[in-house]
Amino acid sequence: MNICVKTKYLRSSFVSSLCRLSTAPDLEQNEQVVLIDDTEDVQAKEAAIEKKRNKSGLTQAHYNIINGRRPYEEPKCIAHLTVKYSRKMYGKYGIASGVNPSLCWPTREELREKKEFESVAYPYTIKEVMDSVEIKRQEQKLKTEQREIELASKFAKLEQWKKELNDKINKKANEVKAAKQKKERLVEEVRRHFGFTLDPRDERFQEMLAKREKEQKKLEKQARMEAKEKIMIAKLQQKNVEISEK
Amino acid sequence: MGSRQITEKSLAMLRSLPRLSLGNIRDNPGSRKNIKRGRGQHGGDKHGAGNKGSGQRQNYMRLGYETGNNPFYLRMPHEHYYKGHHHRRQYPPISLLEIQKLIDTNRLDITKPIDIASIVRSGLYNFFPDQKHFGIHLTDEGMDIFSAKVNIEVQWASEQVIAAIEKNGGVITTAYYDPHSLILLKNPKSFFQTGQAIPRRMIPPPDVIEYYTSAEMRGYLADPEKISEERLRLSQKYGYQLPILESDKNYNMLCERKDPRQIFYGLEPGWVINLRDKCILKPKDEELLQFYAS
Repeated sequence: MNICVKTKYLRSSFVSSLCRLSTAPDLEQNEQVVLIDDTEDVQAKEAAIEKKRNKSGLTQAHYNIINGRRPYEEPKCIAHLTVKYSRKMYGKYGIASGVNPSLCWPTREELREKKEFESVAYPYTIKEVMDSVEIKRQEQKLKTEQREIELASKFAKLEQWKKELNDKINKKANEVKAAKQKKERLVEEVRRHFGFTLDPRDERFQEMLAKREKEQKKLEKQARMEAKEKIMIAKLQQKNVEISEK
Repeated sequence: MGSRQITEKSLAMLRSLPRLSLGNIRDNPGSRKNIKRGRGQHGGDKHGAGNKGSGQRQNYMRLGYETGNNPFYLRMPHEHYYKGHHHRRQYPPISLLEIQKLIDTNRLDITKPIDIASIVRSGLYNFFPDQKHFGIHLTDEGMDIFSAKVNIEVQWASEQVIAAIEKNGGVITTAYYDPHSLILLKNPKSFFQTGQAIPRRMIPPPDVIEYYTSAEMRGYLADPEKISEERLRLSQKYGYQLPILESDKNYNMLCERKDPRQIFYGLEPGWVINLRDKCILKPKDEELLQFYAS
């Protein structure tokens, strides 16, 4: 098999050596075109020379990489069979990598999965999100306003509530004070009865105190009854007056 | 003559002795220590781990653990306002002063629209999308001396910054990018070398949708008419004469914006960029086109 090569692209020494080596009888010594003989043995010789010229000591893969070619032509491990690796090879070494560029796009199945993922990860459109945010903001505003109204109404009643509470406390304190005074009076009366200071824990004292208390209660009861009677009488009189008026 | 004999004798003795050299002098006193021979590589020492306890056993306690005490980090009551702080979006800042510096030192080309990709390419700004960084926060430092007319796109900006840029006749857009898009923008080359089709930009999350749809903040989802109204309003607020955009000779450049789904200027989602062959591959499949256009 012969190839035509432009002379200007070949170094003259290279050309002459080729001419020397060529065995083809129909060699054209044209100015423009030279026929290069590349029969198998010549090719093998060239390859051997090339191999000797490569003094880098690199592995074939590394040699390929530094010369801008993909490292492996045939897969060396499972990872080299993946789509990702093929895409990478295309991305790095272009069409020379021998990868079909149609691999770069997702397949129908992948596309379907992508769509499904997006329908879960981004379920709402921008408009929907905007609306929901707006609604949330309105709700928040409403809540704040209501709380403010509530606070204002409570603040208006605050003085009254304060007064009520203070009254309640004072009333309780007065009651306690009155009860204490009553007790003290009773004790004093008992003491006066005996004519000397007696230990309040004494039995006689206790008896006397109980007696006094009983008397006091009786008196109180009587007073209450009298008051009741008085009211009743007043009512009856009132009724009588009404009847007589009629 | 006894002393003479002695001298000669001693000289003869000296002559018979070997000459003084480095090989036969005695060491300085104390220069050599007779140490015990320890076993092992480092003379039987502790290998730097110390003696006894946690250190020697190299069972390092977890951070904050105080060997049975109530640890300091748990001693305080719960502080709810820090809740979720590690999930919040961050916007690493760059100031107007720095942008001006990038322009003055010819690291940013103002004849083209500026976005995060071009700012990262200047080499003086960096961010990490995997650390919750969501792009640029343009701060107002140096806004008084900012004097460039730019079409800039950032991820966060304040009102003063917007005013400073529009005062000079420039335009600013605030745009959201999801982390995946930001990874692409940070290093486009490495993405193109993976041989994948450019994806679409995703929509912003609900808590920032207001920001990116508001015309006051020049959001990329805002109505352009409202934006022009807001430009005028802002100029009146800050008291400067708003340069007329339409009569500008760079009008086309200043009006250039990305599509809300677009990541790179001039490149559409779905395209495959091959840097080796210097070519762009565009899909023709109907389904793919529909997907990338949605």
